[in-house]
Amino acid sequence: MTQTEEQASVIEVPLRCDGHSQVVEVPAQEALLETLRERLGITSVRGTCGIGVCGTCTVLMDGKPVSSCITLTVQSGHHEITTAAGLPKTAEGLAPVQQAFVERGAYQCSFCIPAMTLAVHAALADPEVDHTVEAVRERLSGNLCRCGTYPQILQAVMDLLTPTETEESGDTGR
Amino acid sequence: MTDAVGSDFRMRDARERVLGTVPFVLDHRVDGMVHAKTLRSPHPHARLLGVHADEALAMPGVIAVLTGADLTARPDINPYFGGQRADQPVLAIDKVRYAGDPVAIVVAETDHEATEAVGFVDVDYEELPYVVDAVEAAAPGAPVVHDDVPDNNVATWRLSHGDCDAGMERADRVYSGTYYSPGASHVPMEPMVCVARWADDAVELWTSAQAPHAVSRGLEKLFSLPAGGARVHTLNVGGGYGAKGQIKIEPMVCFASLMVGRPVRMELGRDEVFQTIGKHAAAVELTTGVMGDGTLVARRMRVNYNAGAYAVTSVMAAGQGLTRANGPYTIPHVDIETVATYTNTVPSGPFRGAMTSQLSFAYESQIDDIARDLGMDPLELRRKNLLRKGDVYPTGESLHDLHYDALLDDLESAIDWRAPVRPAPPGKARGKGMGIIIKNTLTPSRSEAVLQLGRNGIVTVHSSSVEMGQGAAATLIQIAADRLRLPTDSCVIGFPDTDLTPFDTTTSSSRTTSSMGEALADAARDLHAQLTDLAVQHHGYDAHRLEHDQGHLIDPERPDVRIPWTDLLEQAGLPELRGQGVFQSDFGLSKMDRLDVHGPVSVHWHQGGAAAEVEVDLETGKVEVLRMHANCYAGRVVSPLRVEQQNQGCAIFGLGPTLFEELDYQDGVLVNPNLSDYMIPSIVDVPQVVTSTAVESSDPTAEFHGVGEMALPAVSPAVRNAIQAATGARLDSLPLTPERVLRELDRGPVAPGGAR
Repeated sequence: MTQTEEQASVIEVPLRCDGHSQVVEVPAQEALLETLRERLGITSVRGTCGIGVCGTCTVLMDGKPVSSCITLTVQSGHHEITTAAGLPKTAEGLAPVQQAFVERGAYQCSFCIPAMTLAVHAALADPEVDHTVEAVRERLSGNLCRCGTYPQILQAVMDLLTPTETEESGDTGR
Repeated sequence: MTDAVGSDFRMRDARERVLGTVPFVLDHRVDGMVHAKTLRSPHPHARLLGVHADEALAMPGVIAVLTGADLTARPDINPYFGGQRADQPVLAIDKVRYAGDPVAIVVAETDHEATEAVGFVDVDYEELPYVVDAVEAAAPGAPVVHDDVPDNNVATWRLSHGDCDAGMERADRVYSGTYYSPGASHVPMEPMVCVARWADDAVELWTSAQAPHAVSRGLEKLFSLPAGGARVHTLNVGGGYGAKGQIKIEPMVCFASLMVGRPVRMELGRDEVFQTIGKHAAAVELTTGVMGDGTLVARRMRVNYNAGAYAVTSVMAAGQGLTRANGPYTIPHVDIETVATYTNTVPSGPFRGAMTSQLSFAYESQIDDIARDLGMDPLELRRKNLLRKGDVYPTGESLHDLHYDALLDDLESAIDWRAPVRPAPPGKARGKGMGIIIKNTLTPSRSEAVLQLGRNGIVTVHSSSVEMGQGAAATLIQIAADRLRLPTDSCVIGFPDTDLTPFDTTTSSSRTTSSMGEALADAARDLHAQLTDLAVQHHGYDAHRLEHDQGHLIDPERPDVRIPWTDLLEQAGLPELRGQGVFQSDFGLSKMDRLDVHGPVSVHWHQGGAAAEVEVDLETGKVEVLRMHANCYAGRVVSPLRVEQQNQGCAIFGLGPTLFEELDYQDGVLVNPNLSDYMIPSIVDVPQVVTSTAVESSDPTAEFHGVGEMALPAVSPAVRNAIQAATGARLDSLPLTPERVLRELDRGPVAPGGAR
């Protein structure tokens, strides 16, 4: 496609991301990853494989994980997009999944970690996923971590699967 | 003393890491920045006849198309770079030497415009014969990769100890095998990415790199700049594993910025990361002479490392391999030769567990074969021949700080070696295996550190060690606090900036905790001494009676004497004090005769091991690793969590090249440079439980040992040996794919003596 055609095909997309609504004007073929990073400045969403297999660009679309590098922005209109900043936070300023990752030290170079937390959050919220480590682990197979932080990530998942006393009394939003 | 060292002190930016706000160069932007994309050769070897850029130059947004001719037209630029052999042109000059070799750079206003225009640059090539395999490249008559190196030999290293021929003669049995490890890709999640801008004949850049000062010096040489002429910043690095250890894309980016007069950004696509650096493929011929009781008496080893098209670090790396090839055993007669050979493939460089995994796959596989043939327990055969305190290593050194008994004991208990394997489901077989390794650390090398005490009592740690997920920043704070006898809360650290943070050779070779730790200890002594001097000058105290404690000078015998450091600064009218520290090793391989290596080659020896239990599907050949254990000797542990993560990381990272990772060349071209055709371990590819042990010194003043890659080289043989224990399959090539396992199973089990 030439530059002229590209300019001609700029489309207005109503985008709802992390609770904020805005209209972005993007070329028809622009990936959501680029819109989030370059237009909205959301750098917690990171691309690295370019073909939707590594999971570092994961965002939630209506609560389901998608690879933003192979999702067009024009497909994303009228959907609720959630990035790490948009997960519902507790009083401590972190979402429960983020808190569990922090407590377990589930981060090394951390390039993949925000996406990993979104994938864990989505798996735990998915009624079709059993509340077992094995079932959640299966759902994380598309989120790669080259440092090999998987053991701490699974520990964090276990923490989230194990109700704490305060949780049972309904004190947390988990 | 503080509890800083040995405590669970976490990375300070843990929340930012999880939220995704920690800074990467990937996110760095500079005003007025334009974008560069590289046109790379589609041919493995070709003469460059001409580059036609007119059409690309006419494309929207295109600012420049730069080629090798632009490089050579500038007398102020040395067009070739490379720390050990300046053999790599910034852009191809006379020919291309691998598919992926950079030929031209397109600079445009936007990334899209640059990418689009790359497709409109036409290049005329005259294809040349090429060579992919290092053994073929080393044979007479092979295609010549660099005209000035007609035999494709990057380096040859030899080490001889005792009389190998006589030892083989005396041995009751002699075992020979050739073991092959293919190339692999580091796959750091953050690609190589760099932003550069020039001002007043100096260049400033932000780059995702492991060795900021090496990048700075390389650029100064390339662009004929005075010292300090290339200011390099690194931020949080999104994974390195050796891939970012030397100068890589920075010459292209700085050259482009120089030529267009604007800041330039370049971010590699995943295919380009694959095409920039890889692991050395290696063929290892290993012959070992053994007495009937299992005593190892002689070892001969010939190693050919595939250096790829450019030397990068292969000159010295082949020598590092030489010193590690013997393995952690006492063998009286040893003869080892390692060579690195140019081929028309992606340049090779250090890969976590550098140069060692290829060797340990050979010697730790063979030792299991020997044990099975002799009817011995592989663990006991290892124990019988272990390198122990006072033993002489083939370099001629007597080694002392050795912990292999403890490491083996730990592997034995962690994997329940003595217990029978748990019964396998029908059609499957289970087995256990292990491996242990020895690895020198980069020697000689240098680390400098500055501890800057301000009027507010806060100490800033100035260090060029790079934080790439291993926790260097937190670890160095712990060490600085420990040496200064300060709480960690009083210490801060920033990112490397070669204008502000002093020289360090590199953040690699698992050297940071040890080498930078020593530099910090030296800087702390210096800062303490300066503070004591101030107390003597201004208060007349006796220097010998004073001690440092929590930011004060105290006299242990006089509770009333407790002078805050900050008071001393104020009284002296000083805004700050700077303690300077250096760690320098002055010996090592680079000072030796490459054909007769002899003498100390490492400040200390890295020791590690791994054990695995596997389940092999006898119908499909698929190997599932049920559990893994990784260990290392850690000296004095700085952070238990980070040692555990490094050991586990070794096991998980190591399972990739063990089970499925392999650079695949067809017709001389790397055909799987993407994460769909080249898979790395996902969370379901690795055992749910990966256990770890740090063997610690009982001496509270023991030195720190790096722990980043000690267990990794043991992973492949541990899994390979477990497969053999389960099925009798005797594998000699990585990765251990279902096809290879099935082929070996079809050949039938190996009888004692090696016959089938």
